Amino acid sequence: MTALATVPAPMSTAPAAAATPLVRVAGLTLGYGAAPPVVEAVDLSVAAGELVSLVGPSGSGKSTILRALVGLHPPRAGTIACTLAGCEIGFLFQEDALLPWRTVRQNVALGLRLAGRSRAAAEAEAEVWLERLGLGGLGERWPRQLSGGQRKRVALAQVMALRPRLLLMDEPFAALDAILRRQITQELLDWVEGEGIAVLLVTHDLEEAIALSDRILLLGRGPRARIRGTYEVPIPRPRDLVAVHAHPAFAPLLQRLWTDLAAEVAGSGLPRAAA
Amino acid sequence: MRGPALRRLLAGFLLMALWEVAVARGWLDPFYLPPPSRIAVTLGELFARPVFYEHLLATFTAAIAGLGLGLLIGAVLGLLAALVRPVAELLEPVMVLLNAIPRVILAPLFVIWFGIGLGSKVALAVVLVAVLVFFAVHAGVRDVDPRLVERVVTLGGGRWAVVREVYLPSVTAWVMGNLRVAVGFAFTGAVVGEFVASSRGLGYLLSFAQSTYNAAQVVALVLLVAAVVLLLFALAGALERRLLRWRHG
Ligand SMILES: Nc1ncnc2c1ncn2[C@@H]1O[C@H](COP(=O)(O)OP(=O)(O)OP(=O)(O)O)[C@@H](O)[C@H]1O
Ligand SMILES: [Mg+2]
Repeated sequence: MTALATVPAPMSTAPAAAATPLVRVAGLTLGYGAAPPVVEAVDLSVAAGELVSLVGPSGSGKSTILRALVGLHPPRAGTIACTLAGCEIGFLFQEDALLPWRTVRQNVALGLRLAGRSRAAAEAEAEVWLERLGLGGLGERWPRQLSGGQRKRVALAQVMALRPRLLLMDEPFAALDAILRRQITQELLDWVEGEGIAVLLVTHDLEEAIALSDRILLLGRGPRARIRGTYEVPIPRPRDLVAVHAHPAFAPLLQRLWTDLAAEVAGSGLPRAAA
Repeated sequence: MRGPALRRLLAGFLLMALWEVAVARGWLDPFYLPPPSRIAVTLGELFARPVFYEHLLATFTAAIAGLGLGLLIGAVLGLLAALVRPVAELLEPVMVLLNAIPRVILAPLFVIWFGIGLGSKVALAVVLVAVLVFFAVHAGVRDVDPRLVERVVTLGGGRWAVVREVYLPSVTAWVMGNLRVAVGFAFTGAVVGEFVASSRGLGYLLSFAQSTYNAAQVVALVLLVAAVVLLLFALAGALERRLLRWRHG
């Protein structure tokens, strides 16, 4: 399961590219129908190799922002500048969405097939990713025949197989039990750190946000939600999900985030700005 | 599996034996209900006459042609209605009406339009099947999970990829779920069409047997149609299990 960590790390390219963000969002306003905007004037950017978390109250518009980034939701105002091709962005959804009529292997191969790879080549590569994620031997199964955790791993393999440079994740592991969640998250972290992949993660879990990210964005309460704060996480990499809790910066940051989030949920006043 | 099947066979034999005895004893009038032995002999006579195979083939041809055309027309119209708003507004009232009425009452009209030959039988089978398939396709398109569409799009798929990977499988599942009913409908259309006006086919034989009060032949033909439909049911079921194996097993 830890095989992911053995991937050679092309980290050296990350700092050089960090100057130009992979995505830069400016003044983004999003809404549904004629209702008042869900989010308003949102600015955010993710640089190469950077892990950014987006936290905020439920219903504030975090999923909507992610969906807008990949073109699933048209913006009302603002710009989304992206230096990546569509296939370089991987998206892990809140709920898993495997095609029920495709086998596990075909599901993992799907992105590669859509990128123009031959069936045989795509499925051979899919098998490699399945092995790496500890799903070897399950390739012939239907998604229905997997456990929830296995399905999440397949969804992860599906996205990893595309070798994205930016990974958008919408609470992908929220439905998993604590043990499995930590395990999969650690595997993901090792892979992302090793390959220098940039991440924008939406999560409810403040501790997870601190443990994983370089920077945390706090989205305020909707409607018309705005980014209320930006918090740098001064913890070195590579990180271990358990050991990271013992870092001296961890507890104070968590305290601040909680206070600001609680103030935001209560709707009283503005929290402090950036760290 | 073996136990119940064996018991059912045994029960069938018992019932037929009882039936045979009841007629032999005079409790049942063979004019209305001929004994199994008579029906078996009639069936044997039917199969012994070469012309019978022409009748069988005629019904089979009408039903299969009706099934194929009905599936095609229903699927195309259903997809069009699901994808093109004006087509839906035009077609839906017609389909709802056709779905509400017993469609076999159109048989006389089809005889006037297409003559007493194969055409009117196929037309009736087509109307029966196509309306069923239209609604199945419609349901299949409506039933498509938007999250799957987004999954394919975010993996880099275009319009055609979405249709191929999401819409077609979803629609296929719905149509397959209705395939057995469609087979039954196709035979209903063919036989009823022949019954109304024709010069061949099992329906024609039925109507002839009826006009001569030949109850043995009527029962024999009914059993024959049932056997043919059951055989096709089994084939349709096998096809369904094969195409929808992601759902079963
Ligand atoms: N399809 C839709 N039509 C109308 N309103 C919607 C739609 N989807 C979401 N909304 C509304 O937009 C707002 C933001 O929704 P969104 O799913 O982005 O929130 P979220 O921050 O991801 O919440 P959670 O943390 O609970 O997942 C919510 O108030 C929701 O009710
Ligand atoms: Mg959400």
